[in-house]
Amino acid sequence: MVVLNVDGIECRYGSVKVLENVSFSVKEGDFVGILGPNGSGKTTLLKSISRTLKPYRGTILLNEADIYSLKSVDVARQLAVVPQDSSIGFNFAALDVVLMGRNPHLSRFQMESSKDLAIAKKAMLLTNTWQFAERPINELSGGERQRVIIARALAQEPKILLLDEPLTHLDIINQLEIMDLVKSLCVNEKLIVLAVFHDLNLAARYCTSAIMLKKGKIFAAGSLDEVLTSENIKSVFDVDAIVKRHLVTNSLFVIPLSPQKASPSRKCAIHLICGAGTGTALMKVLLDEGYSVTAGVLNVLDTDFETAQFLKIPVVSEAPFSPITEKAHKDNLAMIEKASTVVVTSVPFGFGNLQNLEAALAALEQGIPTFVIDEVPIESRDFTKGKAKALLAELKNKGAVFVKGQNELLSLLNVSAEKLKVAREEKARFLAHLKPEIHGEGEKSKEGKNA
Amino acid sequence: MNASKVEGTYFQRASRWKLIVILLLVALFVTVIVSLNIGYAQIPFANILATLGKQIPFLNGYIDSSLVLPRESAIILQIRLPRIIAGVVVGAALAASGVVYQGVFKNPMADSYILGVSAGAATGASFSLLFGSGTAIFGLRLVQVAAFLGALFAMFLVYNISRVGSRVPVTTLLLCGIAVNFFLYAVVALLEVIAGDELHAIVFWLIGGFSNVLWSDIWAVLPFVVVGITVVYFYARDLNLLALGEETAQHLGVNVERVKQILLVFASMVTAAAVSLSGLVGFVGLMVPHITRLVIGPDHRILFPASTIVGAIFLVVCDAIARVIATPFASTLELPVGIITMLAGAPFFIILFRKKKQSYAL
Repeated sequence: MVVLNVDGIECRYGSVKVLENVSFSVKEGDFVGILGPNGSGKTTLLKSISRTLKPYRGTILLNEADIYSLKSVDVARQLAVVPQDSSIGFNFAALDVVLMGRNPHLSRFQMESSKDLAIAKKAMLLTNTWQFAERPINELSGGERQRVIIARALAQEPKILLLDEPLTHLDIINQLEIMDLVKSLCVNEKLIVLAVFHDLNLAARYCTSAIMLKKGKIFAAGSLDEVLTSENIKSVFDVDAIVKRHLVTNSLFVIPLSPQKASPSRKCAIHLICGAGTGTALMKVLLDEGYSVTAGVLNVLDTDFETAQFLKIPVVSEAPFSPITEKAHKDNLAMIEKASTVVVTSVPFGFGNLQNLEAALAALEQGIPTFVIDEVPIESRDFTKGKAKALLAELKNKGAVFVKGQNELLSLLNVSAEKLKVAREEKARFLAHLKPEIHGEGEKSKEGKNA
Repeated sequence: MNASKVEGTYFQRASRWKLIVILLLVALFVTVIVSLNIGYAQIPFANILATLGKQIPFLNGYIDSSLVLPRESAIILQIRLPRIIAGVVVGAALAASGVVYQGVFKNPMADSYILGVSAGAATGASFSLLFGSGTAIFGLRLVQVAAFLGALFAMFLVYNISRVGSRVPVTTLLLCGIAVNFFLYAVVALLEVIAGDELHAIVFWLIGGFSNVLWSDIWAVLPFVVVGITVVYFYARDLNLLALGEETAQHLGVNVERVKQILLVFASMVTAAAVSLSGLVGFVGLMVPHITRLVIGPDHRILFPASTIVGAIFLVVCDAIARVIATPFASTLELPVGIITMLAGAPFFIILFRKKKQSYAL
C-alpha cells in the first residue's frame, strides 16, 4: 500500500511564503486534482513533493519515509513527474528520451536490457508515440513531445505520478486519450495521481478528489462534490460559475460566467416573460447592464428558473410541469406592476403558460412599455391552436414593440433608459419647483412607470 | 514504421558503440605512426615501427632494429614521440572536458575554458615566465606547475563565487566564469605590457604548442588526465539526463548538485593538466564535441569516449601540420599548434554545421 503524506508544509521563495500549512494524505488509486488560480501555489506544491523545492517547514512522507532523506534514485523508482515545460537540450531520438525513464532502474554501467526496451515500447504505444520512436525529439510538435514526456514518466513504472498541467499543448482528442490512459493506470495499476489543472472541467471529469488552493493555503479539499461548488469557485477564483452534473458523462461540469461588469446602475426593473431557456442569456446580460431583473411565471426545474435562482433574480414560480394557477398569475401581475418594462421572449406557448401572455397584455394596458422578441415565428411555437398567436397580435395592436432579437432589444432599451433618465430629471425639477417639500419618499417607486 | 527494425537498432547499440571506439583507436594509432614519419628528417616507416617495437617488453626480442640509425631512434623517441603523445593527451583532455561542459551547461558555446581555467592558467604561466624563468619544482618546469595551479585557482574562485547555498546554478557559473576570465586576462595583458624580453615566451605560451615537450612533462600530467577522464566517463548517462534539464534529471534519479560538482571539478582538473602541458590550445574543446555529436548523435555514453579519441587524433594531425607547413619557407620554423587548430577547425566546423543545420537545433 503506497501512501503519500504531506504534513504541514510551508514553502518559501526567499522570504516570500508560497505555501503555508498544507497537509493532506493520498493513497493508491487516488486521482487528485490540484486546483487554484495563478500564483496560488499549485506548481510549488508539486515541486516540493518532487524534491525540487525543499519545504521550509513540515514533512512529506512516502510510505513513512521522509522523501528528502531518501536517495534521488529511490524516489525516482516510485515517483515520476511530467513537467509543464519540456524543452530538451540535445537532439535525442524520442525513444532515447523514453529510455531515460529507465535510469532509476539501472545500475551505473548497465545498458538498457530488452526488458527496458519492452517497457519503453509499451509506454510509447500507450501514449501513441511509438510511430516516431526514432525521430529527433526537437522535430516533434509540442503535443507529440508532451506525449513522449508522458511516456518517459510511464517508463519509470512509478507508483505516484505528478502532472503539472499535462495537457497544455495537446489537442482535444489527445487530451482525452492521455487522461483516459492516466485514469485507467490509476484504477488498474493503483497509481496515485496528483495533477495540476487549469481546466476545471477536465479535473471534474477525471479526478476522484480535489485540493483547492487559495493564496498558498488549502481552501477546500475532499471529494469533487465537496470541493467543486459554485461557492468555492466564487471565493477562490472570484468567478461566478454554474456547476452541474453532466447527463452524458455523469461528472460535474463547470460553466464560468464572465465577471460582472461594473456598469452604471440603471435602477429600473425589467420583468421577463420567458421559459425553456429562452430568457437565460438575457437575464445575465440585463444584470450586467445594470437593470434589476424579475421573471415569471416560471415552472420550477425550468432552465430559466434555475438560472434565475443562480443569478438571485426574483421569480414568481409554479410547481414543475404544472399549468399556471390563479395565485401564481396574480403574483406575477403584482410583480409586473413594479416593473418599468416587460420583455416577452420567443418562448413556446402551450395551455400551461398561455396566461403569461395575458399578463403581458395586462402590463401593456397599465401603460408599462412591453417588448416582444419575435426571433422564432409564433406559428412554430404556438401549441394553443392559435390562441397564443391571437394574443401576440393583440399585443402588437396595443403598442407592444416587436424586435428581431436580443441585440435590437438592448439598443432600444438603452435609448429608452436615456429617455427615462431625462424624463425623471425633468419631473424632479418640475416637482422641486412646484412643491419643494413633497420631493422625497414615495416618489422613487413611481418614477419608473411614468417614463 | 518498421517496429522490429527500431528495436533491432537499439539492441545492437552496445556492440556498435564498442566497434566505433575500436575503429577510432585504430585510427588514432595510424595517425600517430604516420605523424611520426612527418618532419624534417626523413625516417622510413620500417625504422619507426622497429624503434617503437623495441620499446615494448617481451616483444622486443623478436624485433630486428639493426637497420635503425641511433640518430633516427633518438629523433623518434626523444623528439617526435613525446610531442605526439603530448598531442594525444592534450587533445583527448580538451575534447573530453568540452563534452562535459557542453553537457552540464546545455550550451553549445561552452568549451573547456569556460570556468576561467584558461585565464587562470595564462596568469600563472605569465607570472612564472616573467619572474621565475629557469627554476624548476620536483624536476618540473615552473611554468607548467604555475599554469596548473593558476587554472585550479581560477576554477575554485568561479565555483565558489557562483555558489548559492549548496546549489551552483549554471547561469551564475557561466557569468562568473566570464567575469573572472576578463579580470585575469587583464592581469595577463598587464604582464605582457611590462614583459619586455619575455613577451615572446608569453605570447607563444598563450597560443599553445608542443615545442620542447619532455617525457617528464607528460608523466606529470598524465595521471590527472587519466583519472579525470575515467571518473567523468562513470557519469556519462547522467550527462544525458542533465540534457533534459536539471529538474527532470533529478526526477529521473540523478543527484544533480553532486553529479554537477564532480563533473565540473574533474573536467576542470583535466583541462588544467592539459593546458599546463601545451599552453592555451584553442578550439579543440569547443569543436571536437560538436563534430562528433553531429556524426554519432548526442548519447554521452558513446559521445564522450568518441570525442576523447577524436580530440586526440585531431590535435596530433594539427601538430603534424604545424611542424611541416612552414618548412618550405624556413626549415626550422615551427608554428604553434594553436594557430593550426583554429585555422583548420573553424572552416571545417562551419561547413559541417551548414550541411547538418536542419537536424541540429539546439
